[in-house]
Amino acid sequence: MNIDKKLDNGCLTLKVEGRLDTNTSPELEAELNFDGVTETVFDFSGLEYISSAGLRVLMAAHKAMAACGGKMSVASPNAIVKGVFDITGMNNVFNIVEG
Amino acid sequence: MNRRIVIFGGTVALYVAVMAVTWIVGTDQAERKTEAMLDYAVSDMRITLDGVIDTMLEHLASMAVRHFKKPDAYSVEDVSALAAAYDIDEINVVDRAGRIIATNDPDCLGVDMNVKSATRSFAELTNGVTRVVSQPFRRHAYGTSRRKYLGVPFPNGDGYVQIGLDESRIDKMISLQLAFLFDAEVKDTTCYLCANEKTGALVSSQLERDMPQTLKEIGFDANMVPKSDKPLSDGGGVETDKTFALTLSGRRAFCRSFVVGGHRFIMVEPEDEFYGTRNMIAATMALLLFLVLGGFALFLDRIFRDADRLRAFYRAEDEARAKDMEIAKTIQTSALPVPLGYNPCFRMSASMAPARDVGGDFYDFFMLDQTHLAFMVADVSGKGVTAALYMMTAKTLLKDAILAVRDPAAAFARVNAELCRNNTANMFLTAWGGVLNLETGQVTFANAGHNPPLKVEGRAAEGRKSGFVTDKSGPVLAFADGIEYKSHTLSLNPGDTLFLYTDGVTEALDGKNELFGEERLLNAIDAVVEPNPKAFCNVVRMAVAAFAEGVPQADDLTVLAVEYVSRPQRFVNSFIPTQGGIAAASAFLDECFGRLEGVKTSCLPVLHVILDEICSNIVKHSGASFFEMGVELLAESGGVKLTFADDGVPYDPLSHEDPDTSLPADKRPIGGLGIMMVRKMADSMSYARTRDRNFLTVVKQ
Repeated sequence: MNIDKKLDNGCLTLKVEGRLDTNTSPELEAELNFDGVTETVFDFSGLEYISSAGLRVLMAAHKAMAACGGKMSVASPNAIVKGVFDITGMNNVFNIVEG
Repeated sequence: MNRRIVIFGGTVALYVAVMAVTWIVGTDQAERKTEAMLDYAVSDMRITLDGVIDTMLEHLASMAVRHFKKPDAYSVEDVSALAAAYDIDEINVVDRAGRIIATNDPDCLGVDMNVKSATRSFAELTNGVTRVVSQPFRRHAYGTSRRKYLGVPFPNGDGYVQIGLDESRIDKMISLQLAFLFDAEVKDTTCYLCANEKTGALVSSQLERDMPQTLKEIGFDANMVPKSDKPLSDGGGVETDKTFALTLSGRRAFCRSFVVGGHRFIMVEPEDEFYGTRNMIAATMALLLFLVLGGFALFLDRIFRDADRLRAFYRAEDEARAKDMEIAKTIQTSALPVPLGYNPCFRMSASMAPARDVGGDFYDFFMLDQTHLAFMVADVSGKGVTAALYMMTAKTLLKDAILAVRDPAAAFARVNAELCRNNTANMFLTAWGGVLNLETGQVTFANAGHNPPLKVEGRAAEGRKSGFVTDKSGPVLAFADGIEYKSHTLSLNPGDTLFLYTDGVTEALDGKNELFGEERLLNAIDAVVEPNPKAFCNVVRMAVAAFAEGVPQADDLTVLAVEYVSRPQRFVNSFIPTQGGIAAASAFLDECFGRLEGVKTSCLPVLHVILDEICSNIVKHSGASFFEMGVELLAESGGVKLTFADDGVPYDPLSHEDPDTSLPADKRPIGGLGIMMVRKMADSMSYARTRDRNFLTVVKQ
């Protein structure tokens, strides 16, 4: 997994490439630092798939954003990832931005 | 036991037979000698008797000659007076012309002595030379008594006096004159007895008073004497009895007797004289034979007993050897590999038929890993125990080497060096070894002087292509140190078969000393109707057996056929239940996708999600010591079936209720989400708990 992190004017953009599963999600979790962040964008255009471990990270981020009144969105997930969101009902929770 | 009866029985029979012959011959000999001795005794006695009587008659006749002085016609009274005075029965005075001119028997007067043949012999008395003419007793012409005649001439040949004396007349004479000639009892050697026939009084007892006086006293009874069946000799004058046996004076003896002049003469031959010799010879013979035959019998018995012991010894040896060989055979057979478990990628069949109980051929096959099958056939020089021992070593070395270096050529080089190190027995072996890559169908092989295998292409009932794999071979193993073997490759497509064999196939001989040969092998392989490894092996074995009908198998015969069926459709691996194990399983799934031909790559991400969920569940909750994951291609759809097994606590993910996904994010429970995702993403799932393990199957089309 490869994480490209950009903080621009309170907007944290994390470009996650590869696989987000039990092995890699701790890495992503470690990258999350919401100090001064009002908006978080997960760019999943390069993500192959996501497992429930990845979902946990997203949900944690979602909760953190909600707590400070910020926004969180998932950009350009592929069909697999979207399918996981659909199955888990996360499509209703996350703000998904099609690429 | 029976043989002993034969040996000792035979010996006793031989002993009895020889003794019987000895006894019979000895008895015959003794009888002949006894008879001869008695013959001699009888004639001796008769000569003696004749002599004595002749002397007596001569004395009487001479006296008559002196009385008459010259032949003249004396009156009958004168002659009778002289006869009466001297107890003479008949006195005839004969003139020169042979005419009786004076006699005491008037009937004889005037008889011409020269006319009758019986009396003619007396004419000699007139020749002036002959002093006396005597005749034996003979039956008297005019009476029943026997009479003896004797003549003495007058001086100057002037006629003669013939006197005749009846047999009865001489008994007194005998008693007195012959007494000293006889014995009174039986002695050790031939002896002569004489007794008065009427009284039985022994003649000799007149001289020795203290001796037995009668025949009865010494045990003789005239009634026991058998009469001779020979006609009486007219001129014999005495009657001779047959030989008879009696016990006289306490001695057993053979006797003959005759009666003359009122006396019985008995010639006695004591049994001991000749039968003693027989008895002694028989006794000596008995002892000698006993020793010789007894010794011989014991010797024979000993020999046969030793032979029995030897035979028993060898039989025991043979049995022990057979048992050893049986065990050796079991050991060798158990050294050959057992069939591998079912593997959809290949089929295999092999057999080894030793020419003797144990052989020097062997085959081997084993998996190097999930996708590499090693197999080989080898033939140790020679056969029997030596070859079998060497075979065990070679087989172990070869397997170890191939397991270690995975390349037959390198393994051969290594084994060759090892075998050459201490090859004092000058053994060697040929081998053909290959490693089949199940994913590619490629066979990496090396040949150490072995027969080229056959490659059969395809499974068609007819028109299959088959041919020998003739890549250049290296030298035999254990022959020369420091040899490198060249590694070759060949390709098998699914359905192709490699057929390996030893020279027991191609060099089998028929009754005409013809070799089975490669062409017959090829023909046999091509004739198989339903090709599969087992059929190839069976057909070749049967073809060789039919070809070599009646000829004993000269060499070990080994066949091995391996058919490459398909690339592997399923891979399995075990992992440790940790985060790292999950990563390894994930990498394994990627690897499997690279190896499974025709798999839909589009389902890979979904499978990864499923894998991640299930594995993390196992790692976090099951407490398992390991888990195993299988990846199998579903050939029809290109989909995949994942199987998971673990030895953790029982857990059926299908029984789990889905969490409520309609709740706002902050109210949702985190757990249970993964399993729900798996259930939703998979096309089908199943769960089983057996042998204390959880088995979970997930299908993604």
